[in-house]
Amino acid sequence: MFELSTDVSNLAELKEGDFSAYDAIYLGDFSCPEYPNNFSSHAEQLEAGLALVKSRGQKAYLRLYAVPSNHDLPWVGDLLDAALTLPFDGFEVHNLGLLRVLQDKGSKVPVHFGVFGNLYTHETAKVLKGYGVTRVYPNPELSLKEIAYIAENTPIEVLLPVHGKIPLVISETCFIMEHTEEGQDGAAVRCTHACTDDHWLTRGRADGSSADWSLKDTGRMTLSGKDLCMVEHANTLAAQDFTAFYVHNKGEAKGYAAAVGRIYRAALESAFGSQAAPDCAPWLVELNGLAREGLCNGYYFEAAGQRYFGRS
Amino acid sequence: MVRLLAPGGSLEMACTAIDEGADVVYVGPLGFSRRPYESEMSDADIKAAIDYAQARGRELLVVLNTHPSPFEMRRFLAKAETYAAFGAVGFVVTDVGALAAMRRLLPNKTMHVSIGAGISNARDTDFYRSLGADTIILPYRWGVPEIAAARAASDVALEVFLFETVQTGKICPGKCIMSSYLRFREWLPMEDQTCFHGSANRGAKECYRVCQATWQFGTVEAAPIQLTLRRDARLMLEQLPRMVAEGVTCFKLSGRERPVPMIRDLVRFYRKAIDRVLAGADNLDDYAEELAELRARWVREKRKRVDTLMDRASGYAS
Repeated sequence: MFELSTDVSNLAELKEGDFSAYDAIYLGDFSCPEYPNNFSSHAEQLEAGLALVKSRGQKAYLRLYAVPSNHDLPWVGDLLDAALTLPFDGFEVHNLGLLRVLQDKGSKVPVHFGVFGNLYTHETAKVLKGYGVTRVYPNPELSLKEIAYIAENTPIEVLLPVHGKIPLVISETCFIMEHTEEGQDGAAVRCTHACTDDHWLTRGRADGSSADWSLKDTGRMTLSGKDLCMVEHANTLAAQDFTAFYVHNKGEAKGYAAAVGRIYRAALESAFGSQAAPDCAPWLVELNGLAREGLCNGYYFEAAGQRYFGRS
Repeated sequence: MVRLLAPGGSLEMACTAIDEGADVVYVGPLGFSRRPYESEMSDADIKAAIDYAQARGRELLVVLNTHPSPFEMRRFLAKAETYAAFGAVGFVVTDVGALAAMRRLLPNKTMHVSIGAGISNARDTDFYRSLGADTIILPYRWGVPEIAAARAASDVALEVFLFETVQTGKICPGKCIMSSYLRFREWLPMEDQTCFHGSANRGAKECYRVCQATWQFGTVEAAPIQLTLRRDARLMLEQLPRMVAEGVTCFKLSGRERPVPMIRDLVRFYRKAIDRVLAGADNLDDYAEELAELRARWVREKRKRVDTLMDRASGYAS
């Protein structure tokens, strides 16, 4: 009927968290290979992670590092060699060069094209099909109308993010590390995994009143300050024939994925069961309570990403 | 052959760059080249710039480096056909699908892959070459070793910006939608656009350069520090001989939004420097004083531009 997925960075988080609301798990943090025991950079963690996900009756997709440099290509290649011996249901690839690497390796594993791959058009989807891409995560700047058009005009499935922070920026270097005391002194910078604490970028109004713009930063990736929320629109999404939905979990506190997943499982089951739209108010209250900077609709309704459609 | 690519943010700037010795000038059509309308050109001006370049034995590239909406792909490709018929030698493109479609449609035109494609390794260059790209502009972070790796990965021509490499900060062309998350505006009538776009990446105006504004940064518990998300890149010079030796064939000067006199002086300077390298020089130290003065002017103009953009963004933020 539909698939609801989320992401988990490492084995400890996978063991400790409740991901029972999800049909599939994207394993790994595609933004930073230095994240502790990241599935995306620790081949020795893959077998255990995959086994745990499968034992829970879920699909497992492996996320690959989104912005590999030339120096990264050898270890990413080694990780892929290990992953290709395991029954992953897909690899999430953001980098076009890695599509070439997978092709060289003769991989037949379905490829999911990640958010930083910059899928904006159906013409791009057609090119990617030739590289074994079966699912695409469209660039967040696209509207629902545009995403629906791409879905209708290509033979590739579309993954639709429905909740969580929106990935806005990815960089090859760690912004948090660069601004530790050690980094400011110009000394050799060593990763102390400071990204496990919440970091925020804020910009105040010119008149000195409270911050107007707010973004979350995880080091190499900057995320929206607000949480994308589409729970009010579950029936619309089901009616548009979208079937793959995603909750962004990277950078969130323990318990976030469980709470959000439970709500969206209920909302989507209702929508796909052709039931009347349920009362979303209690869900919105709970989801708003989980979002430090409030909720938004991203770009789905043709507005700037941080707006919530229809509300001031 | 090593060529100097210069910006044409207006017909006047394009003609000036050609007069000062640019081999190729690049211009952007209104609504399709990720710049505010004052740094893009009408079709009539693009035709005039092509004619001016051709009459002097030079070439013109048209920048079509937006990610078009799926709904405007036909119009996007029709634009490319128009400029090809005008005599444009090629195009600067970002979108993978657009590049593939343009390659099929215009097999005799050169295709440059824009910095907005977000290349991060040599296999990326290989991917674009397989789609039919002729030239790839390399990332700001890349130095000589990465250039050599790209050279080994494929026979695609390599183009570099005339900026020194930068290794810190959020340097993410093609991997950033911060500006449109925070704010964007509707089209102006003169831009002749109807599709929803929302960001400079897609042709809407404009990127507010929020990465160059002052932010507070830190954890909830600690006092925030003030910073910008990236530092300014400096104009490059001493690296030219080594890059030429490694096979770079195009040096690109950015600045379509800069004043014409600034571009005039920069083209004149780099024409002189590149010619000297091609004559065999491996040391350009005696240009240091001139470079320092140009660098200072560049930073002053850039700061003015960022302030203007942030003022616009603040105006929309209320």
